[in-house]
Amino acid sequence: MLILSRKINESIVIDGRITVKIVRVEGDVVKLGVEAPADVPVHRQEVYEEIQRNNREALTQGRPALPQLPATKSKKNLKGQPVAGTPA
Amino acid sequence: MNMCETIESADTNRLESLTVQNENIIHLPLGLLGFEHIKHYALLQNPNESPFCWLQVLNRPNLAFLVLPALEVFPDYEPDVPAEDVKFLGLNGPDDALVFNIITLSAKGSATANLKGPIVVNRFTLKGKQVVLANAARYSIQHPLPLSR
Repeated sequence: MLILSRKINESIVIDGRITVKIVRVEGDVVKLGVEAPADVPVHRQEVYEEIQRNNREALTQGRPALPQLPATKSKKNLKGQPVAGTPA
Repeated sequence: MNMCETIESADTNRLESLTVQNENIIHLPLGLLGFEHIKHYALLQNPNESPFCWLQVLNRPNLAFLVLPALEVFPDYEPDVPAEDVKFLGLNGPDDALVFNIITLSAKGSATANLKGPIVVNRFTLKGKQVVLANAARYSIQHPLPLSR
């Protein structure tokens, strides 16, 4: 792992397009400012891993039976009309 | 209000053709977390399954995520989409957004919704992104769905 020393308001540049700046240090909390292109997702690692894990668990193969929700809504498609090919 | 049926509000011509197919292609340029390489999904809506919908991996009919607009089930849900994501998705206001929450079914028959990291879709461009809400701390990634049986 590359370890760099930085002071407040100093930055590092990654790949010429991502800037990580030390904004503030409060006790054991460091505030970082990240500037990255829109196509570079930036996440807190633990949140990223939690959602990633949940997504993997949620992926289904085939079509499992669906649970019944208490209040059944009206059954409509995008236009609020019966879907072609299915009984009205 | 069923989010799955509210794509209709504008751009009616395009929706006519979408409705015929009853299938919309959602483009997730960044994929889902852990599935970054999968960028196109078909949003499938079967009236008998409402308010559930399927985000099916395009051209892989056996791979899908079960989703629903959590607002259908939890009227108090207030997803706060971060400003960068609003910009990324080109949303001009809350009404431009469709919010889908991934459902996890357990073997025991229970179901949970990810309220923390919903899939937000621009209803006009059908470009979407799985976002971590600005108010994510308020919400669970495995919020139990109320089930009747």
